[in-house]
Amino acid sequence: MSENNFNRRDFLKVVGMGGAAATLSGCGWTSIQNGKETVVSYVTLPDYVIPSVADYFNSTCAQCDAGCNIMLRVREGRALKAEGNPHSPINRGKMCGLGQAGIQAHYNPDRVTGPMLNGQAITWDKALQELNNKLSGVKGEEVAFVTGVMSGHAQSLLNTYMDAVGSKNRFSYEAISPAVLRTVNKKAYGMSMPRYRIDKARVVVSFGADFLGAWVSPVYFSQLYAKFRKGTRPEGRGVLVQIEPKMTVTGANADRWIGIRPGTEGILALGLINALGASGVSIPADIAAVAHDYTPERVGTDTGVPFDRITKLAALLKERTPSLVLAGDAVEGYSYGTENGMAIAMLNHVLGNVGKTVEAAAAVPFTQFAPVVGNRSSLNALNDGLAAGKYKVVFTYAANPVHTAPASLNFSKNFMKAGFKVALAQYMDETAKAADLVLPLDSAMEDWATVVPEYMAAPEGAYSEGYAQMSFRQPTMEKLYPNTDGSGTRSVCDILLALLKQRKPDAYKDVNDFYSYLHADVLKNKVALGGTAADDNDAFWNDTISKGIVPLKGISGKLASRPVVAGLSLPSPVTPDASYPLRLIPHVSASIRDGRNANEPWLQESPDPLTTIVWDSWVEIHPKTAEKLGIVEGDIVEITSRSGSIKTQAYIFPGIHPDAVSVPVGYGHTAMGRWAKDTGANVFGILDPVYDKTTGELAMNETHVKISKAGDRVIVVKDEGFGGGSQAGKKKIAVKVSAGKVDLSKEV
Amino acid sequence: MHFSLRLFTLLAGMMLAAAGYAADPAPSLTTPDQLGPKIEQPIEFPHFRHAGDEKDGGMQINCMYCHTYARRSMVAGIPPIQKCMGCHKSIPSVQDKPRIKQLFAYWDAKKAIPWKKVHDLPDFVRFNHERHIQRFYFQLDRPYQEVCGYCHGDVKKMTVARRQKPLTMGWCRACHLKDHPLSKDSKEIGHGPNDCFTCHK
Repeated sequence: MSENNFNRRDFLKVVGMGGAAATLSGCGWTSIQNGKETVVSYVTLPDYVIPSVADYFNSTCAQCDAGCNIMLRVREGRALKAEGNPHSPINRGKMCGLGQAGIQAHYNPDRVTGPMLNGQAITWDKALQELNNKLSGVKGEEVAFVTGVMSGHAQSLLNTYMDAVGSKNRFSYEAISPAVLRTVNKKAYGMSMPRYRIDKARVVVSFGADFLGAWVSPVYFSQLYAKFRKGTRPEGRGVLVQIEPKMTVTGANADRWIGIRPGTEGILALGLINALGASGVSIPADIAAVAHDYTPERVGTDTGVPFDRITKLAALLKERTPSLVLAGDAVEGYSYGTENGMAIAMLNHVLGNVGKTVEAAAAVPFTQFAPVVGNRSSLNALNDGLAAGKYKVVFTYAANPVHTAPASLNFSKNFMKAGFKVALAQYMDETAKAADLVLPLDSAMEDWATVVPEYMAAPEGAYSEGYAQMSFRQPTMEKLYPNTDGSGTRSVCDILLALLKQRKPDAYKDVNDFYSYLHADVLKNKVALGGTAADDNDAFWNDTISKGIVPLKGISGKLASRPVVAGLSLPSPVTPDASYPLRLIPHVSASIRDGRNANEPWLQESPDPLTTIVWDSWVEIHPKTAEKLGIVEGDIVEITSRSGSIKTQAYIFPGIHPDAVSVPVGYGHTAMGRWAKDTGANVFGILDPVYDKTTGELAMNETHVKISKAGDRVIVVKDEGFGGGSQAGKKKIAVKVSAGKVDLSKEV
Repeated sequence: MHFSLRLFTLLAGMMLAAAGYAADPAPSLTTPDQLGPKIEQPIEFPHFRHAGDEKDGGMQINCMYCHTYARRSMVAGIPPIQKCMGCHKSIPSVQDKPRIKQLFAYWDAKKAIPWKKVHDLPDFVRFNHERHIQRFYFQLDRPYQEVCGYCHGDVKKMTVARRQKPLTMGWCRACHLKDHPLSKDSKEIGHGPNDCFTCHK
């Protein structure tokens, strides 16, 4: 709290009055300007342009990997605003705030505008020449390519390039990815990303899957959720129960939010199976054996969830079918993440949801364009290789490992061991800064690309038909930094083509640029892309890119039969170590996500939905824990793990388990741009090197920390004002009803 | 202390505001003509030569031949140089005139002409050419020079266009309160919209 009574409201009054006075005296009645501004006319005008009348171009969002189809409003040759493409089966005409901010990635003043060699601007010709020199005499296995999620032509070109180089060192890295979930799904359902039919379920029990915020394909899930919540639906209005140690925006929307002890989600799932069995649901023998010991009483003790609530939840699940059980980030982040997820997946099997609300997804028929998704174990593999000095040339694209690697990996030091580091980057982010050569990329509003999303949504009514789609991204305006005087930006596909020309000059000598490559490829495959051989080429091309979505007859996947889970065991909850008593839950916020878009000020400015904090990171602490530690809102606290420490402001938040604290990821950049740099603290850095035993993924929630006050106290900048939140004495975020008085099945 | 600060703020603000009013008294709202200043343009474009009456040596070209977007867009549009060249390439008789030479120089350099805005409303005002042209020129069938002239004055007699009307809100309103038939043959009477939101959005 501030000592001064002169608060924001008074401040605004003064500013407002002064401003009004200035307006009146400065401009008076006549604010017409004469001859001051310039109105520049065109020299020649493209046919379709009418000044002040907008055109819309369909394209694909590149802000996250969900691949929503968007349309961009373009006026006088400037891309102005994105809207959802109403014909998209993914986002169905809607868009999220993260997508809206994409326009700021395009106009961002911190973009790299030309190739840089060791900090010096050079021309593209020289940059590619230098790269060629560095690659000559280098063996295939000494070249590594680190990327984020890639699909479509870019993926196919990269594959071709890696083959041409003779390298198998392709590392697909996502700082935040549902990698454990993919493994669990593969085991439990036979496919890594089945379709979750939230819209068909009568009850959704979500174990920490923030499907309305940041999980997998949130805009799509929001559409399904809207349907799920409609009372007019034949199945009636659905009930959402969210079980997670840190409340997400999905949890805030749920009918019942259960703040479970972190890491005991699987135990609760087995407890539910046990309770279902007790209430007469037939449980397969192997699952029953696994769940046998998980009586509601024991599970209640382990999870901190009152045991009668467990039986009620089981009753609800029994009564309302089909249901759907989801497992999200909160479940994955443990050394036993896979087991945790498997226990929850078994719940879907027991409830008979598999085949009903967990459906087989279809894959795109062109396997070379299928998305190559990333995980964190690839970072470890890369890091090991770097530490051993195995790589002479390392490329990075759409990944920022220097920022997102835990300090314990020593990644930034190991990265320097690579002989020649090439970053394909839009910003001078941490990885680009550490690179020797930076090749600047076009924004997603300037380049051509094809995109195949990992989560394959389907239009309503076409779920069973094996729907798959490929989306087009097209330039919506001239490049802001065109390739004049050898500088400027290029698209990733153009760069890959240039690299391929160095390796295979004969095969690619006729390819001018990626546009002509894509154009030729699309026309060559007219029939496969839904046209007929008789279609006029120009008409087909124009039709394809103006729609932006190519529906395809996908390869229908098949759900596998249930695996036997005998031997599935979950550890009992750990007693916290006295020196590091709190569990750290890195939280993925809906706008900043893994931090790749942190330099878009709209995202920094848009308040976190639950805390309303802007422009900084924070640590969420339960009121009881805070009281014990003597921490109040705004205290700068030091969060120390075995691997490092960060300082950030405290926010007292009842929506978190008392044994845990939560810090959003994606903040605390040391480079990247004026808005990202030094905003907040980087929680990736202090994560302990604990890994999921099955998949080798970094267990994000396995870091234990201690918290101490660092002395300073600040006013937390948040939309609810500094009197809002828990500071106003509101200790509860929702009405609390004792478990005995609640019958969820009758509640809604 | 807190209260007195607020009071002081209020008084100081009001005094400042009053000073603002006093320093710049409001002009009469109904002034029909209020000639703006002369404006230097990169090329001294002779409107009278293009749009003027034949007896004055003009060619009576429709305003919308060059300002072609007026009827389809919010802005009237300054013609692209391409448009000027469309005619001037085939008028050799004037090609050695200094202003035409300037025009050709811009065209050859493929550089846009940095015209100065003569009628520049503040950014919080949204004036729509299309609505006015559609109503008065197409529906009421008024002569185009009269329609454009409502706001732009007698441009056909000007060389470089000069603001002739006040273009203040009161002046706009004075016209928007006047009744006019809704279309040429209609007996129905209406007037322009007077909602704040129509222009301030």
